[in-house]
Amino acid sequence: MAVAAGQPLLRVRDLARYFPVTGGIIRRTVGHLKAVDGVSFDLEAGQTLGLVGESGCGKSTLGRTILRLHDPCRGQVVLDGMDITALSGKALKQKRRDMQMIFQDPFASLSPRRTVMQILREPLDIHRIGRREDRRRQVEALLETVGLSPPMASRYPHEFSGGQRQRIGIARALALNPKFIVADEAVSALDVSVQAQILNLITDLQERFGIAFLFITHDLGVVRHVSHRVAVMYLGRIVESAPVDRLFEHPHHPYTRALLSAIPSPEPGRKRIRIILPGEVPSPANPPPGCPFHPRCPEAMDICRTRVPKTLAVDAAGLHQVSCHLHDPDHVPSASGRPPSTENS
Amino acid sequence: MSINQPANPGVDGRLGPDEPVKYKGPGPATGLDSPLRKAVYKLRRDRWGMLGLAIVIVYALIALGVVLGLWGQDWSSTAGPRWAGISAEHWLGTNLIGQDIFNRALYSTRTAFEIGLVVAILSTLLGALLGALSGFYAGTWIDEIILWKKGVLDAIPFYLFVAAVAFALEGNAWAMHIAMIATFWTITARLVRGEVIKLKNLEFVEAATAIGASRMVTLFRHILPNTLHILLVQGTIVFVSAIKSEVILSFLGLGVQEGTSWGLMISESTQEVLSGQFMNFIVASTMMFILVMAFNLFSDSLQDALDPKKVH
Amino acid sequence: MNRPLLEVDNLVIEFETDRGTIRAVDGISFCVGASETLGLVGESGCGKSVTALALLGLIPSPPGRVAAGSIRLDGRELTGLSEARMRKVRGKDIAMIFQEPMSALNPVFTIASQMTRVIRRHQGLSRRQARAAAVEMLALTGIAAPLRLIDDYPHQLSGGMRQRVMIAMAMSCEPKLLIADEPTTALDVTTQAQVLEQILALQSSFNTAVILITHDLGVVAETCSRALVMYCGRLAEEGTVESLFAHPRHPYTAGLLESIPALQASRNRHLPTIAGAVPDLAELPPGCLFADRCPSARSLCREEHPRLITSGRDGRVACHFPVQSREAYRAALVQWES
Repeated sequence: MAVAAGQPLLRVRDLARYFPVTGGIIRRTVGHLKAVDGVSFDLEAGQTLGLVGESGCGKSTLGRTILRLHDPCRGQVVLDGMDITALSGKALKQKRRDMQMIFQDPFASLSPRRTVMQILREPLDIHRIGRREDRRRQVEALLETVGLSPPMASRYPHEFSGGQRQRIGIARALALNPKFIVADEAVSALDVSVQAQILNLITDLQERFGIAFLFITHDLGVVRHVSHRVAVMYLGRIVESAPVDRLFEHPHHPYTRALLSAIPSPEPGRKRIRIILPGEVPSPANPPPGCPFHPRCPEAMDICRTRVPKTLAVDAAGLHQVSCHLHDPDHVPSASGRPPSTENS
Repeated sequence: MSINQPANPGVDGRLGPDEPVKYKGPGPATGLDSPLRKAVYKLRRDRWGMLGLAIVIVYALIALGVVLGLWGQDWSSTAGPRWAGISAEHWLGTNLIGQDIFNRALYSTRTAFEIGLVVAILSTLLGALLGALSGFYAGTWIDEIILWKKGVLDAIPFYLFVAAVAFALEGNAWAMHIAMIATFWTITARLVRGEVIKLKNLEFVEAATAIGASRMVTLFRHILPNTLHILLVQGTIVFVSAIKSEVILSFLGLGVQEGTSWGLMISESTQEVLSGQFMNFIVASTMMFILVMAFNLFSDSLQDALDPKKVH
Repeated sequence: MNRPLLEVDNLVIEFETDRGTIRAVDGISFCVGASETLGLVGESGCGKSVTALALLGLIPSPPGRVAAGSIRLDGRELTGLSEARMRKVRGKDIAMIFQEPMSALNPVFTIASQMTRVIRRHQGLSRRQARAAAVEMLALTGIAAPLRLIDDYPHQLSGGMRQRVMIAMAMSCEPKLLIADEPTTALDVTTQAQVLEQILALQSSFNTAVILITHDLGVVAETCSRALVMYCGRLAEEGTVESLFAHPRHPYTAGLLESIPALQASRNRHLPTIAGAVPDLAELPPGCLFADRCPSARSLCREEHPRLITSGRDGRVACHFPVQSREAYRAALVQWES
């Protein structure tokens, strides 16, 4: 890998993406929907960062902004040592080889009027990879890589099941031999048994080709299975991030704790204390002042209503980061520095 | 370490392909089961649609025969007697200047097809192109200009517009075609624009951007082919409209300038009907009526066959 | 449990397709006791939603039809009822809530007008009384200020709110049976938790029986007392939730449980999967429909369709060689895969 030692493959700094909100009869911009609002993280080569959050929290927009499917309005994305935020034209097209995407909907993500061969050949043709005559063979090899048989290349997407279509989508993402893939709810539309097959495929591919994944999902079970690190998003911001086991065993942010407690567990009788959050996620067009989570937070303090919390490390190694006043030693009312409810999981 | 190298088969038994899911709609699953082929299969099972198609094909053969010089060549000859009845020589009689009505009707079929095809194909292509650009760049100045042009053309009364074009081109034989194309593309463009706006937000379009496809490749290779069902159906509708409009325009003297057409035949017959001679009128309107009916039947069943939502 | 509220016996539902008649539901039988919560589990296409529609007499016909079997609610036969009579059953005796509340609510009418219409049709109240009843019902589903949203249109509400409105509408006539078809699949986990809690609370205060259709085994485990597992239109297994999850007897149930990425386990490389895919309903193989995907299938399984046999205290399973334990299944799976 071309990444210099100590340099992460992907470095995202203070990334923001606002959508204009228009109003009035002359369609004037009256405000901004802050879909992504100041997100920073690093991703090492060959690692998976799980990104969880509820619908509308901005996780899909974040993935698309990193890939430059949306243009960021602030911040920086550095992939493999190169700032890609301002790239355009040929340079951007060239860089797209290194970063690909796997989509959520296996039915909407493949054009219904093109054969699998046409779909998978296109990236090779666009970037002139290999010799023309060899591309057919390359597509067949790709199909084998994702567990499909080469003769299937002449078929149309509607002839495949959801799981198979998702494999085709993965093959398309792999065609350009990328270093980094954004998987946006890649298994959410699949049945449990098929979902497990696709998850296994993704982890196998990561092992074989050393690809880094940003794995976006709302399913915490899936996140726990695939990720090395997990980031929790709420209203356009990352509120907590940590190595996967640490996050699941010692969640710090009240939102993470509520999220973990809300998942129905497939073990009857294992009744946990469920934290039911009041209300619903506020609109990102009109986020509350201070900490965006305070209106629903069971432990909100006065300061949460006025001041946005800083992102601070809560462990010695600095790997576990939380944006919450409860975990900011400057603001916690109790002397211990840690709220009492931290260790129940 | 390249992904494009063949995988070691059997590296992972659990990742073996799931069974291919067979096509759940009509038609046996085949290896090459393209969406269009599916539509053809559905179309062939629609009795009324096939009847319509058969009639259209008969008409098309008549028109082709005229083009090849097999029949209908004597349409302008005034050799016959005036208002002759049905006879072996004049199968459907003659008109007021002694022209053979049967031959004129055959020749008019050619005229109708020429107008229908030229107008349908060109207005559909123009509508597809402008509609696609307008939908793809919705909200930008490109869209504004196309919408504005469309609005202006839609606002002018059709016959007034044709008259204006005819005057402007000073009796050019193509004036009517141009006027129709300039008018009919707007409907196609509106439908395509709406569909493109819907399609451009689908994931397969984002996927094209993600692999580095340019905007034009994305629009013309990924988005536009998915509007094919609209274009085909709209093409047949325009075909019928063009034939019908020709009759009215020719009747008003704004239409066909060279040769003859059903519209011109009906126009002539106004003088004849007063004298109790109905043959010209009946033949021309029946020929047109049957073709329009047949085309409408075909167009309806085409719409059903191509509609991706109507899989039953 | 004395006489069950709902008895479904040997229900067969067929659909005419261009490729011949397919059996979406093939001879399933089950009971639901009054105020019981029954889970109906299975993957897409297994016939669980079709079963629910049949209970309401809503199978689209043609192409579908109830080909055989009986559905009795409180002893009264529902199959073969005229549409007019069935309409009286729907809403009043059996109500249903759907996965996508937006498509189940009419976008051009306010919440108030849609709710009062249902209430007035079945209870014969005046307009004003019906409106009061609607407000009360909305409040019961945990909507904090029902008066503020009752005159809104569906699109003005969030997904969670819409689903609450649906629940309020369904419960407004105090039905004996509520069918919830994937009621929380379109919702976020935190909202899902609220909505499930609400359904259970209403169920206990109105003594309603609930059939909860879902693909999410976690939801079943937390809300149901008994569950049916369906596969390819047939009943694979039935049992109490405790026994089903702790000691699945059908290899399909065991496989489903194994393939869920567990929250407790840490990052493990390989999830056990169920190999292959669901067979095509139009070309079903003879014998057990799960045989091709089953790690413990033997030759008998490919020849003879297994009948439902009782298992445990009050469970049933359709398998020639039921799974002994989850560990045994895992061992069989490992052996089969290698």
